[in-house]
Amino acid sequence: MRVILKTRPRKKPHVPIEAEGIIPQNFLRKNDLTVYEGNRERNLEDLFFVTVEGPAVSPDQVEIILTGDTGRIKRVGEYMNAGRIIIEGDIGMHCGNFMSAGEIIIRGNADAWLGREMRGGRILCEGTAGDYCGAGYRGEKRGMRGGTIEVMGNAGDFVAEYLSGGEVIIHGNCGDLPGVEMRGGTLVIGGNCSRPCGNMTGGTCMVIGDPGELLPSFRRNGSTEVEFGGKKFRMAVFRGDVANRGKGTLLVKEEAIISRSGRDERL
Amino acid sequence: MTQGILIKNAYVIDPLSGIRGEIMDIAIRDGRIVEDALPGSEVIDAGGCLTLPGGIDSHSHVCGTKVNFGRYMSPEDMRAGRTSRKGVMHVTSGYSVPTTFGNSYRYSTMGYTTVLEGAMAPLEARHTHEEFTATPHQDMLANTLFDGNWSVMEAVREKDVKRAAAIVAWTLAAVKGFAIKLTNPGGTEAWGWGKDVSHIHDPVPYFEVTPAEIISTMIQANEILRLPHSVHLHCNNLGVPGNFRTTLETMDLAPPAGGDRQTLYLTHVQFHSYGGTTWRDISSKSEEIARSLNSKPQVVIDMGQIMFGRTTTMTADGPMEFKLYMLHHNKWSNHDVELETGSGIIPVYYSRKSLVNCVMWAIGLELALLAKNPWQCLLSTDNPNGAPFVKYPEIIALLMSRRMRENEREEIDPRTEHYVPLFALDRELDWYDIAVMTRAGQAKAMGITRIGKGHLSPGAQADVAIYPLKPDNLDPSVDYQQVMAGFSRTLYTIKRGRVVARDGDVVVEGANSTIWTRSRVPPEYDMGSDPEFTRKFDQYYTVRLRNYPVQDVYLPRGVCIETEAAL
Ligand SMILES: [Zn+2]
Repeated sequence: MRVILKTRPRKKPHVPIEAEGIIPQNFLRKNDLTVYEGNRERNLEDLFFVTVEGPAVSPDQVEIILTGDTGRIKRVGEYMNAGRIIIEGDIGMHCGNFMSAGEIIIRGNADAWLGREMRGGRILCEGTAGDYCGAGYRGEKRGMRGGTIEVMGNAGDFVAEYLSGGEVIIHGNCGDLPGVEMRGGTLVIGGNCSRPCGNMTGGTCMVIGDPGELLPSFRRNGSTEVEFGGKKFRMAVFRGDVANRGKGTLLVKEEAIISRSGRDERL
Repeated sequence: MTQGILIKNAYVIDPLSGIRGEIMDIAIRDGRIVEDALPGSEVIDAGGCLTLPGGIDSHSHVCGTKVNFGRYMSPEDMRAGRTSRKGVMHVTSGYSVPTTFGNSYRYSTMGYTTVLEGAMAPLEARHTHEEFTATPHQDMLANTLFDGNWSVMEAVREKDVKRAAAIVAWTLAAVKGFAIKLTNPGGTEAWGWGKDVSHIHDPVPYFEVTPAEIISTMIQANEILRLPHSVHLHCNNLGVPGNFRTTLETMDLAPPAGGDRQTLYLTHVQFHSYGGTTWRDISSKSEEIARSLNSKPQVVIDMGQIMFGRTTTMTADGPMEFKLYMLHHNKWSNHDVELETGSGIIPVYYSRKSLVNCVMWAIGLELALLAKNPWQCLLSTDNPNGAPFVKYPEIIALLMSRRMRENEREEIDPRTEHYVPLFALDRELDWYDIAVMTRAGQAKAMGITRIGKGHLSPGAQADVAIYPLKPDNLDPSVDYQQVMAGFSRTLYTIKRGRVVARDGDVVVEGANSTIWTRSRVPPEYDMGSDPEFTRKFDQYYTVRLRNYPVQDVYLPRGVCIETEAAL
């Protein structure tokens, strides 16, 4: 089954839409889904032209295509457990919260909190992602626990905050404090970032670009070689964050360390 | 405007009036209980259901800076307990530290109409009163912290009880407080200097007074001022293995009662009844504590029961919270209140898999089961420290049903029974005991029966809770699930003669009162014109004395209990 949701023109297009109902399992049966526009409850049909093509007997046979002015639609794919959502443009905050299986593909950019507290499945964002991509909720001690988030462009601050499992791959640059408070899982940053992995206690983070000046609470622990994007890189291995009695692993390029300090004083 | 309310066929337990379960009618007019209903009164048929005076919590943390900081540092707590707007009810959220309306609605649907905030820092009283106003379905009172008050400690050092009394009188009137609260007396102030006190006869660093001297002086000052409540004490060494000795020594400080209430109220005694020397060999000393309590009618305690699950601990006991933080390495907040007190907050999870937590859980119940007189051991969780107050119905059920305790025994750490006497106790509390431990006892201990709290005799405030429980056809020792459900949700909660909650929903906006005390003192004891007292403000406080008192506008419906000090 293919469900096409095309946004209708709105008088106030800046008012956010909360649409946690837009997940494959909800389209198996004909039902009256509602979403919130600001603080008003609306029928799905009031905000979208809805087209349904073909049948489905289980949610994994459902593909939802979101198109139009989708950048202010929040919580799409929340608790999704099967099937596929394709967003042709940008998507609003909290896309894929708690998703446990299935796939979300975003052709444009994603706003903050992409895949927050994700359990499983895959999110691919072809554009850039906002702050707190693959992160936890405010105050909680565990963030994303499983699945994969891949962002082809850049991402904002606090990427993979409290990451506890699964994999977050950012091909571009990250902002400040990616992997802060990481507990487990893997974070890969293809570009630059600043202050990676503050307070981490577990998991592995790899920065292919310039990590900036490392926090002083990471201890050098040998070298290794990794592959990323078909190329091999010689990486310095650090353990930390020792300020938090952490046993996490942070890999940064050997040249990045040397070029910053003029000499490898951490050996 | 109705003519009043007539509750028919109520199964009434009203301990303060000596009613131990009689089917009777209750008439209400103009917010008070009256002899006869006016014609045309709204009739509520209670159908033989349990009808009690409105519930009173004599120690709970629901309003003020500390509670609010608990909200602030635990946004994840706001994910639990969310309710949406419904009728007159605002949106609420939060589980262990809910919004003020969340607290108020949940208390109200459990039949509670009066709540004492356990610890208000005098300097931060305005915040407490603002939140009181936003807790509209309970009349509120504030324990006022004096544990580290420099002026008080100086008076104690000079052995000047009258000056201590005068400071209390001025402060309570200034901050619209209700009673004297001492939290880890001396220890909290010592913590401001990076220290603590570990014994009640050890001097507080820099002040040359001991906790025991502070406690004894404040008890005397309290009685000089003839305050309605006694000194309300959170003992030293909270949560320290082996602390039961401190608690016993502290209980020995309570002088015999002259009036009709205790001279010392010890709060959350579960946290103060530990044997052993470390967390590894911690054991229950509830029997020793109960033996002392049973021989001292001048002492009243509340349980401070813990229940398994997630909550937030918050107390003026800053050093204790630091020790807990070192154990958990989770979030921690620490706060100093100038010349008065301090506080600390950390989130906790009490686990059935933790032997220490299981021992703590057992001790609270044991205290209630071993105290011979229910008037001396009141039900509390030190909300939210031991558990959020929404767990009260479960605690009631545990106290009423040995079978339920046995079922729980299967779930907890099997080693627990070697460290606690709980499972040897056959006692099952009855409806009367519960009525005492959840309202009548509180009203008596707090000294608010005179203003019509905690009872249903003519003239009393018409605060009534009708529960969907029929004591005549219910065996609490077997039907504990029903007991739990029944106490969770009243059929009707009536406050000051108005139905405020029905079947779990609050039905009116509500408007509460704040009850505070003022002791009239002779002019020479008016601290407002005392040069040394004024100097403290000029020299050390961030506010001047004249700006310190809480303005009347903060108490839209203040109720002042006036006393004549014996100075
Ligand atoms: Zn308390």
